[in-house]
Amino acid sequence: MNKRLFTMVLLVFVALSGVFMAQAQDTVEITIRCKANVPGGEGWRCDNFAEVEEQVEAELGIDLNLNLVQDNIDWGEYKQEFVLASEAGEAPDIILSGHEDIGAWAPAGLILPLDDMIDMHEEFDDVVSTLWDSQEWSGTIYGIPQDAEARPVFYSKLLLSDLGWTDEEIESLPERVAAGEYTFEDMIQTAEQAIEEGVVEEGNGYWHRTSNGFDWLMPYFASGGEILGEDGKLVWDSEALLEVYESLADIQARGVTRPDMLGLSGSEVWHPAVSSAEQVLFAQGGIWNWADWAKNYVADQGGNDYLLENIGLILFPAMSAETPLTVTHPLSYMISSDSEHPDVAMELLAAITTPEANNRHAIDSFHLGILNSQVESEAYLNDPVLSTAHYMLDYTRVAPNHPDWSAWTNAYWLGIQAAETGASSPQEALEQATAQLQNEAGDNITYK
Amino acid sequence: MEKNNSSSQRNWFRSNLAAYGFLAPAGILVLIFFLIPVLLIFYLSMTNLATTNFTTNVSEMEFIGLENYAILFRDQFAGKIFFNTVFYVLVTLAIFNVSLALIVSLLTTHIPRRAGFAFRAIWILPRITTATVYIMLWRRLAVEAPYGIINQFNTFFNQTTYNYLDARPWEFVILVNGFIGVSFGMIIFTSAIESIPKDLMNASLVDGSTIMQRIRYVIMPLLRWPLLFVVTYQTLSLLTSFEQILLLTDGGPGLYDTEVWSLTAYHRALDNYFGNTQWGYGSAFAVILVIIGVVLAVIYMRVFRFDELVVEPKIEVL
Repeated sequence: MNKRLFTMVLLVFVALSGVFMAQAQDTVEITIRCKANVPGGEGWRCDNFAEVEEQVEAELGIDLNLNLVQDNIDWGEYKQEFVLASEAGEAPDIILSGHEDIGAWAPAGLILPLDDMIDMHEEFDDVVSTLWDSQEWSGTIYGIPQDAEARPVFYSKLLLSDLGWTDEEIESLPERVAAGEYTFEDMIQTAEQAIEEGVVEEGNGYWHRTSNGFDWLMPYFASGGEILGEDGKLVWDSEALLEVYESLADIQARGVTRPDMLGLSGSEVWHPAVSSAEQVLFAQGGIWNWADWAKNYVADQGGNDYLLENIGLILFPAMSAETPLTVTHPLSYMISSDSEHPDVAMELLAAITTPEANNRHAIDSFHLGILNSQVESEAYLNDPVLSTAHYMLDYTRVAPNHPDWSAWTNAYWLGIQAAETGASSPQEALEQATAQLQNEAGDNITYK
Repeated sequence: MEKNNSSSQRNWFRSNLAAYGFLAPAGILVLIFFLIPVLLIFYLSMTNLATTNFTTNVSEMEFIGLENYAILFRDQFAGKIFFNTVFYVLVTLAIFNVSLALIVSLLTTHIPRRAGFAFRAIWILPRITTATVYIMLWRRLAVEAPYGIINQFNTFFNQTTYNYLDARPWEFVILVNGFIGVSFGMIIFTSAIESIPKDLMNASLVDGSTIMQRIRYVIMPLLRWPLLFVVTYQTLSLLTSFEQILLLTDGGPGLYDTEVWSLTAYHRALDNYFGNTQWGYGSAFAVILVIIGVVLAVIYMRVFRFDELVVEPKIEVL
């Protein structure tokens, strides 16, 4: 064999080896579905995976093909899409959803238990331990926390100043609420006074959530209500519920909250009015609203700086249970039972469970940290907005992961609508809500 | 004797084969898109299918008999939702889908042809506009000052401003659906009016009738069949339509104020903020809707004497 021929054969051999080696490296397709308000800064929920793609490829020696799908469709449709896709065998490998879905999806077999896989990744040791409680169903973990939040009451520093409050009184309000010195009744009285003195228009003293949601657990907890009994059944606490319904009728009777509060348009009325700090004195919302307002509502006035100057955050003030509080609703990454590569999905989840990845999301979208190292990190501590809200995690409660949660909360919401709109008296609202729950969930609930 | 019978049956079948052949495509469509879904929903309504036990395997669903119907009839708001539906269908149908459709048809067929065409094209716009865009337009009209267009006029003329969707929810629900509904009747009525033989129309004028008399004594009697069709079709259409209400008020404000039956079925079976949808219970609502629709269709056919309308033309009998 002459030298030239030998060289050619060698080159062909090397080239073919390269081709075969490339083919030998598996291509793994992973689809990840996230719900995110991308203009509001929540895009890192899915985009974080793209940041760690190469790292995971190197660690596992595979070729990853990530399909990231994220938008901000309605929660109901989003969840329904996953259930139907699961039944059709086309579910994404990873779904990001509310932790409460574990209560419905785990017993339905749509998502995988993760305990064993969590033990194999030390990254998860860094997760704030209390958050794991929200990821369980029947003693087994089914989700990885993605973020945490607080649902504070925003107050307008501008309007309190107009009301004659000193700077010290305004700045110390969060501490006084946290200490239980400034209660829900005090807040309503302040709102009433602001209306009487013409600082805000009637109905703009205190705004709450305009639709069904987790926020409504706050007045229930603040009234001493408990949600999950020791026997694992949900608890329907009539005394606490009546207090909530009476408080809603009361704020309407006193003209503190506008009569069309329920169903009020968010993007057209609620957010512009509250973020301006010029129209509404107190408004109960979610901390992620802040990032959205800074980017999309008051950007022209200075964005974040304008909000920091004119709006403050307090816990939901104490009611009869004398405990100020907030509710957190951690979103969770769950792995579909349909996933052909749950180990790769878990590797991706471990790779984004870092202070860097979680800070990108937390700081851009104003969500609270979920990792011990993250909440101690400089970037997190130096963020002026997050540092004003992080203490709220010490006062937080969560909704239960329970198959009857939908029936419970829908009945509660029915009573809220009845009491607040004046369609029924608070007592009648309680009776209607109780009858609704008894009709649909029967003895699955403990009625107190 | 038996042989004769079977032979005559075969002949009868053969002679009608072509007719069955022509009916087959429509029959298959009805079977696939109506009968089979109705049977499936009827079965689903007797199961406790929900997100927590969701499956598409019929044999794995838990049969619970009429329990969902018992829950439905015990529901304290089922009555309110039912009467909301009756109100919504009757008012929208009477004012817009039939009356206004008829008025638009009559007006646009009594003006120059091009102008009539232009007006009808405008009336079709609500139907061909995407539901979400269409509702966004209405929301922007109705929302409170300073954001809403109507309220900007109110402010300009020093009038009180309202959050119209809260203050006047039914008016807006009916307007929104009515403007869509007009176009359907308008097309049917216009084509029926246009197809009335010109000599009939001219003869009435030669006999000295006024325009109103011609409408009353010539046009209206000839519109009975299109009227039956529009009333029947639009009743059923309104009974099952909910998407505009969902996007506009979502059944509110307040306690089921604009919630209609089909929207409740959707809320129960397909949409739940907290994720645990009740397919079985929602199907029970849907089955009630099917029963109401079928009963109404039969009643309409009796009232409008459907048999007489489809009797063979006398010209062919002769």
